[in-house]
Amino acid sequence: MLKYSIRRLLGMIPMLILISIVVFSLAKLMPGDSLSGEIDPLNTNPEYIAEMREKLGYNDPLPVQYFNWITGFVQGDFGKSTRFKIPVFDLIMEKVPNTLLLGVTALVITYIMAFMMGMYSGRRPYTLGDNAIAGFNYIMLAIPSFVAAVFAIYIFAFQLNWFPFAGSVDILVERGSFEYYVSRMHHVLLPALVLGAMSTASYTQFLRNDIIENSRKDFVRTARAKGTPIKKIYNVHILRNSIIPLVTFLGFDFAALIGGAIITETIFTYPGIGQLFLESVTSRDYPTLMALTMLLSFLTLLGNLLADILYGVVDPRIRLD
Amino acid sequence: MKKKSLLWLFALVLILSAFLAACGGSDDTTSDSGSEGEGSSEEGEPQQGGTLVYGLDAPPEGLFSSAFYGIATDFEVIDLFDEALISYNENLEPEPNVASWETEDNKVFNFTFEEGVKWHNGEELTVNDWVFALETLADPDYDGPRYTNVQTVEGAEAYRSGDADSISGIEVVSDYEITITFDEARVNNLTNLWAYPLPESVLGDVPVAEMSASEWVRSTPIGIGPFKVDKIVPGESVEFSKFDEYWNGDVNLDKIVLRVIDNSSVVGALQNSDIDMISLQPVSGPEVEPLENVKIVTYPGLTYYYVGFKLGKFDNESQTISEELPKYQSKELRQAMMYALNRQEWVDAFFFGYADVVNKPVPTSHWNSADDSELTQYEYDPEKAMQMLDEAGYVDTNDDGFREDPDGDEFVVKFSHYATGNPTFESRAQAIAQYWEEVGLKTDVEMVEVNLYYDMVEKDDASIETFFGGWGTGVDPDPSGLWKSDQLWNYPRYNNTESDQLLDDALDIEIVGTDQDKRTELYVEWQKILNEELPMLYIAELEEIVALNNRVGGVEYDVSGQNSPAEWFVTE
Repeated sequence: MLKYSIRRLLGMIPMLILISIVVFSLAKLMPGDSLSGEIDPLNTNPEYIAEMREKLGYNDPLPVQYFNWITGFVQGDFGKSTRFKIPVFDLIMEKVPNTLLLGVTALVITYIMAFMMGMYSGRRPYTLGDNAIAGFNYIMLAIPSFVAAVFAIYIFAFQLNWFPFAGSVDILVERGSFEYYVSRMHHVLLPALVLGAMSTASYTQFLRNDIIENSRKDFVRTARAKGTPIKKIYNVHILRNSIIPLVTFLGFDFAALIGGAIITETIFTYPGIGQLFLESVTSRDYPTLMALTMLLSFLTLLGNLLADILYGVVDPRIRLD
Repeated sequence: MKKKSLLWLFALVLILSAFLAACGGSDDTTSDSGSEGEGSSEEGEPQQGGTLVYGLDAPPEGLFSSAFYGIATDFEVIDLFDEALISYNENLEPEPNVASWETEDNKVFNFTFEEGVKWHNGEELTVNDWVFALETLADPDYDGPRYTNVQTVEGAEAYRSGDADSISGIEVVSDYEITITFDEARVNNLTNLWAYPLPESVLGDVPVAEMSASEWVRSTPIGIGPFKVDKIVPGESVEFSKFDEYWNGDVNLDKIVLRVIDNSSVVGALQNSDIDMISLQPVSGPEVEPLENVKIVTYPGLTYYYVGFKLGKFDNESQTISEELPKYQSKELRQAMMYALNRQEWVDAFFFGYADVVNKPVPTSHWNSADDSELTQYEYDPEKAMQMLDEAGYVDTNDDGFREDPDGDEFVVKFSHYATGNPTFESRAQAIAQYWEEVGLKTDVEMVEVNLYYDMVEKDDASIETFFGGWGTGVDPDPSGLWKSDQLWNYPRYNNTESDQLLDDALDIEIVGTDQDKRTELYVEWQKILNEELPMLYIAELEEIVALNNRVGGVEYDVSGQNSPAEWFVTE
């Protein structure tokens, strides 16, 4: 397995180089640059903008710019954000805790809901309950997240006053105190619910179908013949086998955890990676934009590798060689 | 793909928020919807104590220093904890604040500082902090955009190029007195000069190149204002508390909490009294007006919108207008296109009454703005527009319903507008095109992504013929930077020696001396020319709109902005 992992990791290198070229070209193909919006006759002048373009190297030939960027990048220097004027690494690290908290909470909510619904549906396929669950899942999948977010804010924050409508923490509580963590959880719950409840469909239906399929297999018949309680058959024998395909999703989830939720974060004013990504695109903040895209590409590749390895772990029949 | 879905997002959010607001307001009684002009909130006895929640509808970047900030949102935050040495009154004329000044020739200025002004870290403010600020801006490593505000001080160039160790025009007399000499006498030397100090006690040891990323600018900024920053949660909130050693009188509030909220939540947050004050977009105005616990205050802004004509091409190397474009050179054509526009209807439809039609490129609040009685008003008059077009030779010769140019060739007006996520931009561009088509001018509208748009306008791209734009002007009313023929930002490429001469004269101390009336005369004359020539069609100037909860008092606005937060209070 170690040999396999190393081989896969090495195989990522050419892939990442290709991705970096694509990311760089796409970023530079966008019209305008980080200074084109900065025209303000009050406190700047054309000379300043021309000077900054020169300083930032926007006048160099593209291959030179690419080479400068990639050499720094490989050495861990992601550059300095043209918008926030601080190193991109610091900027990302500032946002990652928020995004991780939101991502993990949302994932936990998705898992809990999907497992409950999937197991129920799988055990009683084609009943009213199963159809209701499927209907609910697909409606949630169809509702765009910004619509759900706006409604959730209106109902739960403004009408019922259960949750705060924006932000990641109440600034008035002491940092590091118990109330601080309670406040953070309180703030993260509503966006996490919106994110988590919206994406249960794939897990639920996958689990349901697998449970139905497995329940017709020989080992289930044998178990029944032995007189094993139905409950035990479903919760132990079948579930164990049915979880395996879900591992595929884990790979995708891995990148999504860090990638954040662009729309949801923006509407909830929840400062995370998604919001940062959107801002870096609109303000042509190349260093931030390119670093984030590279980071997400890398995580997706890594997530796939992780999923492949996990297959081997959970199902010994699959051999990685 | 992403752009398209974003557009949909904004469209739907707008529709939804309108829908949600409709759900919320069960009765239609309108509360106080503000007064025109200088707005002030309810009169009442100032109360001590309490917390005010200040809303922002866009996240700040986190550059909380007057010398380094880049966007207006950051400045809104800075404005709560710092103040300038010089302030401006409602006519945008400079007034002493911490510093008062004397000058005899508009070249050498003697400034005197108030004694006992304290920074939030307890150090006393001296003129050295100002010298430190000016030297920072003039430093070759300085990465902000404000060198232009020190450039005119004698010796600033030499300091920047490394030929001198200090700026020769700055002479410190004592801790509270300083003399600043400019490179030449100008009427606007004072308004152009950088008037914010930087605390040398904290930033003195930081290399200039690292200042904008430093802790002091990011998370522990200090100033000399009535409130000090307690805590910052990046991108979402800032906590301020009363500064007990504030130099200029008492402070009413105990705390200000600043919160960033998304545009889609503004109306709900105001209705629930979750925020006490926030600047509104015109589109939110009609939704906020019916709320009973909120009042709307408007005050004149310094932004105007226009439709420009490309009359030439600019050569950036020689800084001149090198080529004249023939298509829109006819003054009668431009005037007819102005008469064809129903600007009042357009402004009411797209700015919900929070804007006024204008006929000149100088905001009405500036002291040098020409009175409407001296200018042609260009009231909506399609008959007159058609008549003028007929006379100028733009007639329909091939019966296709649209006019041809005087040579008999097809004449199509190309109108460009920038596109962002805002779904109203396309309809407002189409509305303008429709006015022109009604008088027989065929018009093609092109929406261009906003970053690309300004790039194309600036580079005189051939596909830009008539274009929509807006300018915000500052406290200095001199329009030279946007109108002289050697300026890159003279987007219409307007080239008129008489206009250039007037603008130069109005700044020439030999001609106008220090007499403001004389300057006004020259500027009015200049505006008359621009009003007659119409190198751009002036559309409207915007009003600034603020929503205030009824419990907030003591807040006043004029064209220079809000009054000192020290005077604000809340009633429970």
